[in-house]
Amino acid sequence: MADGVNRQAGTSGGASGLSYWLKVLLPGILLAVLVAFPATHPSPDTLKLLFITAVWTTTSLAWNLLGGVAGQVSFGFAVFYGLGAYTTGLLMHAGWSPYLGFFAGGVVAAIGSFVVGVPTFRLRGPYFVIATIGVTEAVRVIMNNLDITGGSSGYRILEDRAFDPREHYYTALAAVTLAVVISSVIARSRFGLALRAIKQDEDAAADLGVNPYFSKLKVHAIAAALVGIAGGIYARRAAFFYPGDVFAFQTGISILLMPVIGGIGTVWGAVLGGVIFGVVQEQLDARFPNIHLLLYGGLLMLIILFEPDGLLGLMRRAARLLRRKREYPGSKNPDEVLWGRGGVAGRKL
Amino acid sequence: MSLVQGLNLLVASLLLAGIYAAMAVGMTVIYGVMKIVNLAHAGFLMMGAYFAYELFERFHIDPILGAVLALPAFFLMGIAVHWLLIRWLPKSDTPTLASLLLMFGFWLVLQNIGYIFWGNDDLAINTPRTLRAVSMGPISVPEVSLIVFIAAVICLLVLQLLFERSWFGRSMRALIQNPYAAQIVGVDDQRTSRLTFGLGTAFAGFAGALLAMIYPFSPEFGRNFLLRAFVIIVLGGLESITGVALGALVLALVETFSIVVVPASYQPAISYAVLVLVLLIMPKGIAGLLEKKWRTA
Repeated sequence: MADGVNRQAGTSGGASGLSYWLKVLLPGILLAVLVAFPATHPSPDTLKLLFITAVWTTTSLAWNLLGGVAGQVSFGFAVFYGLGAYTTGLLMHAGWSPYLGFFAGGVVAAIGSFVVGVPTFRLRGPYFVIATIGVTEAVRVIMNNLDITGGSSGYRILEDRAFDPREHYYTALAAVTLAVVISSVIARSRFGLALRAIKQDEDAAADLGVNPYFSKLKVHAIAAALVGIAGGIYARRAAFFYPGDVFAFQTGISILLMPVIGGIGTVWGAVLGGVIFGVVQEQLDARFPNIHLLLYGGLLMLIILFEPDGLLGLMRRAARLLRRKREYPGSKNPDEVLWGRGGVAGRKL
Repeated sequence: MSLVQGLNLLVASLLLAGIYAAMAVGMTVIYGVMKIVNLAHAGFLMMGAYFAYELFERFHIDPILGAVLALPAFFLMGIAVHWLLIRWLPKSDTPTLASLLLMFGFWLVLQNIGYIFWGNDDLAINTPRTLRAVSMGPISVPEVSLIVFIAAVICLLVLQLLFERSWFGRSMRALIQNPYAAQIVGVDDQRTSRLTFGLGTAFAGFAGALLAMIYPFSPEFGRNFLLRAFVIIVLGGLESITGVALGALVLALVETFSIVVVPASYQPAISYAVLVLVLLIMPKGIAGLLEKKWRTA
């Protein structure tokens, strides 16, 4: 598994035969296994865990697009999650198909992203970050007082058909696949290159013809849409949600934590982080309800101080140690294998 | 709104501005000198509140004295945090991903420490003077607010003196204006950063203790103030304590008078609206606006 992840994440062009096939085949096999999985009649708990993990991983990939690729830290993704949840809920109540509801949730979240992005992205400095801290708070108090959504007592979705865990599972799987595809396409596109340039040096990027303002707005909207869709999918399964849950600051922290754990700036790092967080989080919260913030905060500090590239960085380090023993000097730089031609030098944090 | 009502609100916002300025100034100097958005500032505010609470409950030390005692205690804490965490961060002209996430992680840890020791209930410091009011003609203000205001202003004046008159203050200003030139003329970057972080933290603890006399607090205390502090920084700029005071006054006026039209439960939304408006209309703050007027005039 570890080796597979390593190989896929790298070589953005001119890949050798083996790694090319791994890059295309492995995600395909993984997807096929996940699609076939419900046929083995897993327990409802397992299916629920996979569902939650897929939803979290979608948000993790979305955060990574903005935070990892473009270098804009946001603490406010809970807003988009909540917007997606409420949009889906309200539209389903109005008789829309849930799938149209998810889509609309994504659109509403993308529109919402401009409220944060337009005033802050034009300016250099920490304006965006601080605005994202404030916006969660602001939206939550508004939602707490809004009558049509039931205010702070929450909103309930009523569906007049039988609860089908498989359908929920497949929608979440579709969302995470969409997120992976979008992330991979952006990573290989001119747009992705522009975003990485902005992360490294905004002025230099602007000199080379990138418009930082529009690029940041665009990627923020894409990320917000993905989170909105994830929020809608979550809301439909949960069937009940309230502002203190979907709009919680805590939700924003969780979304940010996943790509950081897995490895900021890489598609498979975000996936890895999402999967680990999805599987571990509920157990962790249940077993250590009093110290989970301590664990998250401590983990965040340790990662930043000792291994800013997260678990993928750790794996790369291990791989380098192993490789050093058997390969001749002058072999392909392991950084390049993982991060593409820019190498690790291009990953200023 | 009658005239008396308006006067009362005006006085209330002036008093609020004092405490807001004390709260924001720590974050301002740290951001100015190190270009670090100290997200843990909210955690230090919270710790300051509990510091005063514990001193009051255990040793019956007046919270005002508690706030003053918080200054040296939190100064040392800030130095320790700088030594442990901040000095490993790469230097940059703009806030880096690493510094944001590091300070955020530290804030989470502080919050959790708060939960472990004090639970998540709202606490408050109740002294005999909590409910007393001072009246001057038609205007009446809570005595606590007045005392807090005076303490905040005294501390800001001392800081202003330090900023203007001492070598340390001069090094800080030099680093704020141009870190490279400052180092060329012999400013010790590391030492000044360390002391600045200590100073900023000391002020956070101090302001937290003062805030605890007015508001109830829980381990989440401080998050709302973080945004306010930043609005004040954006309004007032980084160059001077006067700017911070001015920014605090504007925010306090907006918040206090908005109560007339918007329900109080919308307060966080109001600070956010102010931030967005300021960024859209005058991204360079009050100073930038004045400068523009100056040039066109």
